[in-house]
Amino acid sequence: MPAAQAFISIDRVSKSFQVDQRTPPIAVINDVSIAIEEGELVVFLGPSGCGKTTLMRIVGGLESATRGRVQIDGQPVRGPSRQQGMVFQSYSSFPWLNVIDNVRFGLKFRDDVDAAEKERIARHYLELVGLKGFETYYVNRISGGMRQRLAIARTLAAGPDVLLMDEPFGALDAQNRDFLQAQLDIIQRSEHKTIVFVTHDVEEAVFLADRIIIFSARPARILEEVRVSDYLPAERNLETKESETFFKLRNRILAITRAQALRTEQLLMEARTTP
Amino acid sequence: MADAPPERSSAVDAGAGTSPAPAPGTAVDLPPINPEPSVWRGLTSFRGTTPRIVDLYVGVIGVVVFLLLWDLAAEPHRIVGLLTWIGVLPAGMEVADPKLFVAAPQDVVVRLYELFVYYEFLDDIGISIYRIWVAFIAAVIMAIPIGIWMSSYRLVNGLLEPIVDFIRYLPVPALVPLTVVWFGIGDTMKIALLWLGTFFQIVLLIADDARRVPREYIEIGMTVGAKPGQILRHIILRAMAPSMVDNLRIGLGWCWTYVVIAEIVASNSGVGYVIMSARRYQKTPEIYAGIITIGIIGLLTDQAIRWAHRRYFAYLR
Repeated sequence: MPAAQAFISIDRVSKSFQVDQRTPPIAVINDVSIAIEEGELVVFLGPSGCGKTTLMRIVGGLESATRGRVQIDGQPVRGPSRQQGMVFQSYSSFPWLNVIDNVRFGLKFRDDVDAAEKERIARHYLELVGLKGFETYYVNRISGGMRQRLAIARTLAAGPDVLLMDEPFGALDAQNRDFLQAQLDIIQRSEHKTIVFVTHDVEEAVFLADRIIIFSARPARILEEVRVSDYLPAERNLETKESETFFKLRNRILAITRAQALRTEQLLMEARTTP
Repeated sequence: MADAPPERSSAVDAGAGTSPAPAPGTAVDLPPINPEPSVWRGLTSFRGTTPRIVDLYVGVIGVVVFLLLWDLAAEPHRIVGLLTWIGVLPAGMEVADPKLFVAAPQDVVVRLYELFVYYEFLDDIGISIYRIWVAFIAAVIMAIPIGIWMSSYRLVNGLLEPIVDFIRYLPVPALVPLTVVWFGIGDTMKIALLWLGTFFQIVLLIADDARRVPREYIEIGMTVGAKPGQILRHIILRAMAPSMVDNLRIGLGWCWTYVVIAEIVASNSGVGYVIMSARRYQKTPEIYAGIITIGIIGLLTDQAIRWAHRRYFAYLR
């Protein structure tokens, strides 16, 4: 049983939603098992609405599984906690607080460190994400990319074991996304956090991941796992995206996702034509 | 070799054609590609924009034009005289005295002055404001926790919403007899009526404000280890505050409607009472004075709350 030793073990998780009483429940996740090692960056890749975000939210304790169980460091996940940090795509930080207070918010409810240490940690993460000098700026006055870096700093300041990122760079322009992906790689190497990163962007997945888990359309099941760390070096930079290995990996994954998209389309057409 | 660069550059100039190239560092007067629209264009084009000061001037012009028209309406014999003089109307037309219906603005101002100086109008204004604020503050103090409670727990919402919705639809004037039976005709009855008119409206608005707080904000709280009470205080209240203050500002406006209703029915004080007793003695300027006073107080309160909103929620801009 490798799942027993893994840092995060997702064990035969299924999830279905009951929309209303008259229709049967909609299956969102179908019998998914994943074992994630400590310090690993795993990307959940799949089409929009496939259930990958729901699976990540189950790991975060923000939603419950219909069947199966999730354990982090041997402890079953019972609900959200400081151990599972979340970075959202939008509304990722509070507009009524300035930059430094947003980072401090991550530490506000910790009682394992004293006030001076809290301040030190807040400053440390503020600097790590490159927001030093913007302490007194309100969130509406900084760029979208800076807001996402701020969210990462706040989440890290809370001292989580796992970082759960739900398409955090999805709303950014291409240049900003490039830059933030490279920064996340740097942060990951200095902080050694276990990260679950949800995206539908194949290049982003290849660039960031140690391992990519490719999901089918809803209900999500695992189509294939790609160990990117077997092909690309641990340290990634903007040149990584120019390398031949990167292209090959990208094309291979695109082939899988395209075939899947085509199949989904066909299934939908069939469902429409057959009464 | 030294000659080559200038030759090349002059060749380029010749190719470009028309005017001689300006010396580097000289400012060139180019026609603006997209000139700033004139103030007039800004005011009249579809969804145009104007500087704030222009909006202020336009507002003043609107008020002045309104006052002029009002003055004309109060003295229609002037219009009739003018039309007679031009020859549109035959000479010798009689005009009924309109003062009973439309008081001239200057008469209203005089009457306002008299009310303040000889009739202790300030006391009536004070008593109306007192009734409004007591009822409003009582409604707000109860509506904020109950509204948030409704938004937080399905059970509370399920129990309260049908009742609140029902009472919310009752017209306030229909409740007047009931409040008189309960509380007589004193201040208590007025305050109770105002409370009935505002609390049930406000509580639903506040519940909506709390529900509209983005799910992400609350989940950020959960994942940095905040407990429900802390999420409520540090996240939900802060996130909903701007829209809540806006809704309360509108709720305060309803209070003025209801206070006049309450004071018209049975009272011997308050702005509504002044208006109603002026009607009884056909003192039209006094009716106008009362109405205008309410308008001015409403305007000032509204502007004060807007100002506070801009100041305390400056982070929104």
